[in-house]
Amino acid sequence: MTAVITADGLTKTFGMNRGVDGLQFEVTKGEVFGFLGPNGSGKSTTIRLLLGLYHPTSGTSTVFGQDPMHNAPEILRQSGYLPGELALHPRLTGRQHIDFVAHARVMNDRTVQDALVERFNVILDRPTRTLSKGNRQKIGIVLAFMHRPDLLVLDEPTSGLDPLMQNEFQKLVRETVSVGRTVFLSSHELDEVQRIVDRVAIIKEGQLIVTDTVDGLRKAAPRTIEFRFPATVDSQRFASIPGVKVLDADAGHITLSLHGPVAPVLRAAADLDPIDVIARPADLDELFLTYYSDTPSDGSSTENPLPEKSNVP
Amino acid sequence: MSPDVSLLDLRLRRRLLIGYTIGMALYALVIVALYPEFKNTTSLNNLTKHGSTAAALFGVTGSLTSPSGWLNANLYQNFLPLIMLLITIGYGASCLAGQDEDGTLSLVTTVPIARRNILVQKVGTLALQAVVLAVVTMLCVVVGRGFDLTLPVSSLAGVSVGVALLGIDFGLLAIAVGSWTGSRGMALGITASVAAASFLLSSLAPVVAWVRPAKYASLFYWSIGNGQLDGGLTLASAAVLVTVGVGLLAVSIWAFRRLDLH
Repeated sequence: MTAVITADGLTKTFGMNRGVDGLQFEVTKGEVFGFLGPNGSGKSTTIRLLLGLYHPTSGTSTVFGQDPMHNAPEILRQSGYLPGELALHPRLTGRQHIDFVAHARVMNDRTVQDALVERFNVILDRPTRTLSKGNRQKIGIVLAFMHRPDLLVLDEPTSGLDPLMQNEFQKLVRETVSVGRTVFLSSHELDEVQRIVDRVAIIKEGQLIVTDTVDGLRKAAPRTIEFRFPATVDSQRFASIPGVKVLDADAGHITLSLHGPVAPVLRAAADLDPIDVIARPADLDELFLTYYSDTPSDGSSTENPLPEKSNVP
Repeated sequence: MSPDVSLLDLRLRRRLLIGYTIGMALYALVIVALYPEFKNTTSLNNLTKHGSTAAALFGVTGSLTSPSGWLNANLYQNFLPLIMLLITIGYGASCLAGQDEDGTLSLVTTVPIARRNILVQKVGTLALQAVVLAVVTMLCVVVGRGFDLTLPVSSLAGVSVGVALLGIDFGLLAIAVGSWTGSRGMALGITASVAAASFLLSSLAPVVAWVRPAKYASLFYWSIGNGQLDGGLTLASAAVLVTVGVGLLAVSIWAFRRLDLH
């Protein structure tokens, strides 16, 4: 599979402040790669490094095989970028912004642009200072997609969009990858990521802590099992089972996190005559929170660690 | 090289530039029209006859009632450079560092245009603004021939080129500082300070002996402070101003290429 983006030990520091540290990943052609992390975790810094806006402190990256530091125009020619905090000139209209970018990109064919404007009901002829955040974001979507780039770099793309437009945007992303183009999607909207990405990388305090498919993360993650018993039970019976962590124990109700075979837990529970049992796989938001709560920033796990994942795809 | 970036910035500064230019033109016309009222008021020359330091602080030295003295005292030694530097330093500080702080620079840095190309286009916009202001002012002064303000057009053209180059050089200094630091505030502050010091060196040199040797370090001296309104802009003066500009352009390109952009 062709790598569209590679990062190898990519590091950026700002004086004494951390940016990103030793990032290592690949994004292959035709996939939606989700880059997940809370505000300030290093998502936007990574994107700026990939687009040649920031100079790395150490490490390397390539986009379409080119070094962003030396061939940024060539990378930008094949890429569309929607920044996390889209800043438009307040006195210019959406049409003036779009015309500038179309001219700078030497776009002769405006059919995609026109279709996007119609699809997202973009307001073109009012100064952008009079537009809501959502309507400005729609202009940003047109600017990023209108030249049919081979790579879309989207930083919090649905910020400010209403649910209908979010849905339309997700369709647009799926259509984009269905014709072999690639999407690098940075977000902290877990639901959105879950719905449209093929693989996800989770970044914490500038370091990648896991890269995997959403399904892979789910399979590797601990399941949550809840039991109800007719009377109070001793939670130590479960805590002593390897791979089990007692999340909550209250009267006859006990919630466990389980990583490993379920049989020992069921045997222990059966002796206590349970009334009810609920078992479910972890949702992405639970996975995300688990990674964030359990993995220290130096990468060393302490208690009940999630299975160690490779940082390379 | 398509001038998209230049055209975008001109569109953004259109109202400001038109306002400054009309204001400057009206002021120049008023100064020109007032000359007949003052040309025989020789008592005015007492202000500068004994080398008044206070008058020199405002760029006023020599005769005030000669055509060149009148224009120097009211236009070319103070007000025109002031407006010129307001425009060029303001633009120089905002066109890269300021727009990057606002986030709007990303519109041009995320399309396939090389950084050097972006910077060169910005400098083109800077130069155009300086030239427009200098030329419009010169045309208004040429009208002064009808008000007894008779100066050779070649001298007026020379000093206009000098003022334009002065504005471009300080605008380039603001661009260079902005590209180096990424800060509009630093670009404005440092450049304005250097411009103020440069003005003082040039304007005090004729009346303060110990300042005199330092006048060569002042861009004001090379552009307007060496009798350019009488004798035009010498080749040496033009060479100094152009050389400084080229040097600042080179520093700006180098600094902008290493700047982290938002």
